[in-house]
Amino acid sequence: MSERRGPLLSPGITRLLVIIGLLVLWEVSARFYADPLFLCPPSQAVMALKHIFSEPKIVKAIEITVYEMVTAFLVSVAFGMTVGLAIGLHGFTKQAILPVVLLLYAIPQATILPLFVLSFGIGPAAKIAFGISHGIFPVIVTTVAGVQNLRAPLLTAAKSMGASRFQVFTSIIFPHMIPSFFTGMRLGMTAVLLGVLLAELYVSTAGIGFYTRLFAESFSPPDLFALIAVLAAIAVTLNEGCRTMERRFSRWHAM
Amino acid sequence: MSGAETVIRIDGVSQAFGAPGDPRRVVALESASLEIARGELLSLIGPSGCGKSTLLNIVGGLATPSTGQVTIAGQVVKGPSPQKVAFVFQENTLFPWRTVIDNVKLGMAFQGVPKSERDDRAQESLKAVGLADFTEHYPSQLSGGMKQRAQLARALGLQTEILLMDEPFAALDEQTRMVLGEDLSVLLARTGKTIVFVTHSLVEAVFLADRVAVLTARPGKIKKIISVEEAHPRKSSFMTSPKLSALRNELYELLHDEIRKTMTLRGETGQSHE
Amino acid sequence: MSKRLVQLGVLIAILVAWYVATLPGGVHPLLLPPPIPVFRNFGVLLTTSSIWPDLFVTVREWVTAFCLASTAGCLIGYLVSRSGYAVRVFDPLFAGLYSVPAILLFPLYLLFFGLGAGSKIAIGTTIAFFPVVLNTIAGLSYVDKAYITAAKSMGANSAQLFWSVMMPAAFPVILTGLRLGCIVAFLSILGGETISSLAGLGHRIVSLAENMETSQMFANILFAVAMAIIINGLVSFAEARGRRGFQ
Ligand SMILES: Nc1ncnc2c1ncn2[C@@H]1O[C@H](COP(=O)(O)OP(=O)(O)OP(=O)(O)O)[C@@H](O)[C@H]1O
Ligand SMILES: [Mg+2]
Repeated sequence: MSERRGPLLSPGITRLLVIIGLLVLWEVSARFYADPLFLCPPSQAVMALKHIFSEPKIVKAIEITVYEMVTAFLVSVAFGMTVGLAIGLHGFTKQAILPVVLLLYAIPQATILPLFVLSFGIGPAAKIAFGISHGIFPVIVTTVAGVQNLRAPLLTAAKSMGASRFQVFTSIIFPHMIPSFFTGMRLGMTAVLLGVLLAELYVSTAGIGFYTRLFAESFSPPDLFALIAVLAAIAVTLNEGCRTMERRFSRWHAM
Repeated sequence: MSGAETVIRIDGVSQAFGAPGDPRRVVALESASLEIARGELLSLIGPSGCGKSTLLNIVGGLATPSTGQVTIAGQVVKGPSPQKVAFVFQENTLFPWRTVIDNVKLGMAFQGVPKSERDDRAQESLKAVGLADFTEHYPSQLSGGMKQRAQLARALGLQTEILLMDEPFAALDEQTRMVLGEDLSVLLARTGKTIVFVTHSLVEAVFLADRVAVLTARPGKIKKIISVEEAHPRKSSFMTSPKLSALRNELYELLHDEIRKTMTLRGETGQSHE
Repeated sequence: MSKRLVQLGVLIAILVAWYVATLPGGVHPLLLPPPIPVFRNFGVLLTTSSIWPDLFVTVREWVTAFCLASTAGCLIGYLVSRSGYAVRVFDPLFAGLYSVPAILLFPLYLLFFGLGAGSKIAIGTTIAFFPVVLNTIAGLSYVDKAYITAAKSMGANSAQLFWSVMMPAAFPVILTGLRLGCIVAFLSILGGETISSLAGLGHRIVSLAENMETSQMFANILFAVAMAIIINGLVSFAEARGRRGFQ
């Protein structure tokens, strides 16, 4: 109703002010009221970034985590799309395998995390595998859904014009699938990040999990906050990268 | 209808959207004035976008005019007056999560009708529009024409003196709206309500109305008012009568120029859309 | 009919493959225990009360987290949706925060609330909050304007407008948010228990894994899977029931 006489500030600026306000509130309350063993003001966390990045072992652990995320993502996407296309394009495999995929997708994955560590050890292999076990299912399911949305009249029309199987794939199925590919990639990325981070946090004798535990047990919240902030920034960058790609490629595809 | 008492008085009403100087500013209405007598059915007709819905909303108190005022039975309209005015909207506004009868009753609940009276009144108004067998259906289970009749039933259930109808049959096919128009004529003659009826159909306007008010292209003004001297309820023979044809042709002449105007206006501003 | 048959065939094939893989000379039983003892242990789990204490811990954490998240999510969503300006300020803020993997907060929660139920409730609440609040905002702020105008024209006051128009119109969308919140709360609490905990289903599975009792562990995993599937089915059913009449 109040469309005509809007507030003075644009929503973006107000949002920024809200964030700054919350940070100031946190700073003040942490500085004056909180137990420094548990909570630190954001300014100290920012200062601790320097400490984090000057410690080669921590930097290495972060690098390895990024490597695990990217590897697990690439494998999930490559395998997930291949499996998704194979399932989606074949009536029989869809009936036979899709329910199995959905069943596996419904497993609360955290419960099988110990199995991955038993099988693959505490190194990157277990974390990559666990990341894949998270990422591959959304990719498969989105790809299958994308194939399902293929409009039959288009295929019939192409066949009536004498298109070969190969031409049907390159000129109809593939272009049609592009938005689902990117949606699958975005969902896959979110899931992979969750999987890798869960595994990293679970293994407390090496990698990120070791440091979060170390910082918590030695009561140095600034380091803990800084490390988490770095990981969060990495995760958001990867997530937003996928989201931007999805937006760009769905736009020119939209008819 | 001269001599009858004026119920709705529209007095120099203008409506503009957007601040002066805003390139998107639209002047929808410019000093429109009109008087509507008690028990009269007035059709509003005019080019698309000329401000018919806007005028109706102002009369019903759903919008406040930039200048001018509307009085109903001597009182200046300042907001919705559900006791006096009921609407049938251009869009389907039946609440999809309620059955037909619950939609009608909800309107009465909003208006403040005591609970004990609602059921009887709802049944009655649904019967009046021929939906007695569909009271327990959900709107999604009705055809387009039935939905519009259900909306009409909801408005009738409010038992207001004034009924404002904004292209109630616009979404329907020609045959259905003809038949609904005939039914409406009978129904309205019986209720004796004061009605303002917006339509795009020249035939519908003439067939239903006591007077037809033609609006100019935007900014909308009253261009001319034509009287249809024919008793209610109107028979289907009136539909095919030479009298109706003559009036329809007269309206077409009046509107033709106005619609041309809007087209050329669109042509000129067309580039800015691309 | 033949579809069911195919699916049954695949299921049997998987079980047979599992059995064959665990025959002597196959996969090490510590990594993949043979199916028969797993199902025997699963039967024991269902018929004895040994799992009850852990089950109780997890369910209590889950219910608490879901109640907190849905109350906070609906309330904040409602407050934000009251003004179009607030929606434009806060909706992107919540959506942006949602793209941070919230599990990263778990080490902090361990520090604040300890190894017990507190940290699990906190992570479950955090993760379930977002789908609820985002769906509440979406549902309430995109109610078709025509409904609101119609209700006002019939004299609806603001309470009637909210309860008879806004709520029912937004209800299906909010319900979807609640369903998602309910499920992710359960999953993230299991995740939290797996990472670090003193009790609960996740804790049980981890300690069985650490003691190399894989057959027991598989039976417990089977239990958690069955529970997740049942929860999924129940909340989907509740959502479908809640939606009835909205089609
Ligand atoms: N809320 C609004 N904000 C800005 N402009 C508006 C608003 N409502 C209506 N207008 C403009 O006012 C003009 C008149 O609109 P209105 O809906 O009254 O036309 P109409 O005569 O009912 O048209 P139609 O026959 O197509 O329904 C239009 O140009 C429209 O763009
Ligand atoms: Mg209109």
